[in-house]
Amino acid sequence: MRLLLVEDEIDIQSFLRRSLDEAGYQVDVAADGKTAELLAVDIPFDILIVDLGLPDQDGISLILRLRQMGVKAPVLILSARRSVDDRVRGLEQGGDDYLTKPFALAELLARLRNLLKRNTPAAAETTRLRVLDLELDLLRREAMRGGQTLQLTQQEFVLLEYLCRNAGRVVTRSMILDKVWGMRIQPDTNVVDVHIYRLRGKVDAAGQQPLIRTMRGVGYVLKDR
Amino acid sequence: MHSAAWRISLWATLAFACGTMVVFVFLQSFVVSDIQRRSDAWLSGEVEVLGDVAQRTPKDALYGRVVGEVAELAAREVPNKPTSGESSSDTVFFLQSGSDGSLKLWVGMGSGQAYLQAIHATNILPDRPTDLRVPGFAIPFRVASIRIGDGSHIFLGLSERDELRVLRYLQLRFFLLWLLIVMLGFGIVFLTSRRTLSHVRRITVAASRIGQSDLTARVPTTRRNDEVSQLALTLNGMLDRIESSVHQLHTITDSLAHDLRSPLTAIRGKLEMLLSSTADEEHIEPIVSAIEELDRLTDFLNKSLDVAEAKADALRLTRTAIDLDESLRIMLDLYEPSMTDKGIKVSWHGSGRVAIFADAALLHRMFANLLDNELKHLPPACTLTIALRSEEDAALLILEDDGPGFESEVLQHLFERRVKGRDSNGHGLGLAFIDAVARAHGGTVAVSNRESGGARIVVTLPLASSQDQDPQPTAAAAAGSH
Repeated sequence: MRLLLVEDEIDIQSFLRRSLDEAGYQVDVAADGKTAELLAVDIPFDILIVDLGLPDQDGISLILRLRQMGVKAPVLILSARRSVDDRVRGLEQGGDDYLTKPFALAELLARLRNLLKRNTPAAAETTRLRVLDLELDLLRREAMRGGQTLQLTQQEFVLLEYLCRNAGRVVTRSMILDKVWGMRIQPDTNVVDVHIYRLRGKVDAAGQQPLIRTMRGVGYVLKDR
Repeated sequence: MHSAAWRISLWATLAFACGTMVVFVFLQSFVVSDIQRRSDAWLSGEVEVLGDVAQRTPKDALYGRVVGEVAELAAREVPNKPTSGESSSDTVFFLQSGSDGSLKLWVGMGSGQAYLQAIHATNILPDRPTDLRVPGFAIPFRVASIRIGDGSHIFLGLSERDELRVLRYLQLRFFLLWLLIVMLGFGIVFLTSRRTLSHVRRITVAASRIGQSDLTARVPTTRRNDEVSQLALTLNGMLDRIESSVHQLHTITDSLAHDLRSPLTAIRGKLEMLLSSTADEEHIEPIVSAIEELDRLTDFLNKSLDVAEAKADALRLTRTAIDLDESLRIMLDLYEPSMTDKGIKVSWHGSGRVAIFADAALLHRMFANLLDNELKHLPPACTLTIALRSEEDAALLILEDDGPGFESEVLQHLFERRVKGRDSNGHGLGLAFIDAVARAHGGTVAVSNRESGGARIVVTLPLASSQDQDPQPTAAAAAGSH
C-alpha cells in the first residue's frame, strides 16, 4: 500500500512515518502542498493523509486540486482546528475521513483501513464471525465459545462483535465508544473498562485461554492467534 | 402581534375624531349664527316695510285688509322655507298693538291674544329681533318690532321651526360626514401602521433567528429611508461588529488550539511509539500514565475553549434532530455497569420521545460529564434518579441523588471555571462546561441541594420547533453503527 503523508510538522511527520512503516505502508512524505502535488502526479498512491494547516496552502484546497488532477485515492484529513468547516463535511460525504489531533495511533490505523476497505469492492456480508474458538452468529445474535453458548446482553454482543471484526488489532476506548455507543465522548471515569471486564468475565471463563487483552495506555485487542 | 398597530390606530383615531369634531362644531356654530343673522335681517327689513305700510295706510275700514295682505305677501318670502310647498301661515304672524297695549290687528293662526300676552311678558326691544315663547308652541318665534307714528307697535314673528329643521338636517349631514372621515382615518392609520410594524416584525424574526443560528445573516432592509429602515441598518451594523468580534474570538481559540494540539500530537505519538517498543513492565507504567495525563490535558483544553466560547455566546454548533430520550438511555446503558459496581442504584424515568435540535457531540459530552460527576462523587449505596420530561416548549432533565450534596460555599460559584469540591480530582470545569453547553442551546442549568439531602441538577433545553426542520434527520445517537 502506497501512502502519501502531507504534514509540515517535523515531529509529527517522523513518528507517523515510522508507525505507518511498521504497519506495512510504503510511505512518501511531503511537507507542503507543492511537493504533494508533484508526488501525486508521478506516483499512484492508494491513500493519502493530509494535514489541514500546510505552510503554502490550505489542506482542503490541496485535496480539491488533487481531485481535479484525477487523484481518486481516499484521503484521511488531519486537523488541529476546533471547528470542522463545511468543506471538510463535504469531503466526508464524498468518502474521505477526518481525524482531530491529537489522536491515538490505533485510531489512525483503523481509519486508514476503513478508507481502503471502502474503496475495494465489498465482500458479501458475512453472517458468522469466527476468531479462534469464538464464534458469533450475527443473524441470531448468539455467541459461542468452544461450543458453549455465551449469555450476553444485547450491548455486550455488539461490543464483542466490534472486537471480533477488529480481531488482532488494537481498538481504543474512544473507538469503542464511537462504534458501539455512537458517541464521541471522553469520559474521565473507566466506564468502558467496566464493560470490557464484564464481557471478559463471560468470554474468558476460568480455565480458558484469555482472548481479550488489555493494551495498557492504548486500548484492547481480541487475540486471533 | 397586531396589538401595537391596533393601539396606534385607536389613539390616532381618537385624536383625529376629537380634532374633526372641534372643526365641525365650529362650522355648525358658524352656520347657526349665519342663519340667525339672515332671518333677523329679513325680519328687521320686513317689519320696517310693514311699519311703513301701516303708517301710510289710512286708518279706515280697509286698513286691516291692506296691512293683512302685505303681511301675507311678506310671509311667502320666509327664509329657510321647506321646498315642499307647505303652508307658511303657521310660521309667520303679524300683530299690531295699540299704544294702550290692546290688540289692534292680527294676521296669523288662531287668536292673537296668546301672542300678545307673551309679547307683554317678554321685553321686546325695537330694532332687535328677540326670541318669543308662546304657550302651546314648542318652538319659539323670532320677533322683530317697530314703533310707528301713532304710538302703536308692530310685531312680526317668524317661527324658528324651519330654521331648526335646516340645522338638524345640517347636523345629521355633519355627523355622517364626521363618521365617514373618522372611519376612513382609522383605516388608513391602521393599514399604514400595520405595514410599518410588519416590517419591524420581519426584522425581529430575522434578528432572533440570527442569534440562534449563524451570524452571517442580516435583517431585511428596504430602500425607503425611514426610521424602520434606519433601525434595520443600525441592527445590521451592530451585527457586523458582533460578527467580527466573534470571528476574532474564533481565530484566537482556533490558533490556540492549533498551537497546543500540534505539540500534543507529537508527544503522544512518540510516547505510543515508545510504549510499543518497550516490554519492560517497569517502564510501561510511567509511559501509560503520561499518555493518560496527556489525554486529560487535551480534554481540558477542549473544554476550556468550549467554555470560553460559550461565555461569549460564540460556541459553534452543528445542530441535528436528536431524541433526548434515546440518547440518555444509551448513555445510561454505558454508565450503568460502573454505577452498579460502585453500589449506586440508578432509576430512570423517561416519558417517551423528546425531540430537540442540538449539537449531538456537545450534548453527549454534557451527559457524560453529568454522569461522570455522579459516579465520582456519590458514595456507595446511594440512589441516582434521572427523569426526563417535556414541558410546554422545553425538555427537562432532572438528576437527583441522596448523596452528600454540594458544599455550600461551592454552590454559590458552581458555574465558574475551576470551582470544585475539596475532594474532587477533576479540573473543575465540569459544571461550567455543562452550563456552557446548555446556554449555547438556549437552555439553563439549575443546581441545588435537596431538602431531604443530596444534590439536584435540572437541565432545561428548548424543544425542537417546527422551524428546525432538518433536511436529513440524522440519528445522532445511532448505537451500534458500523
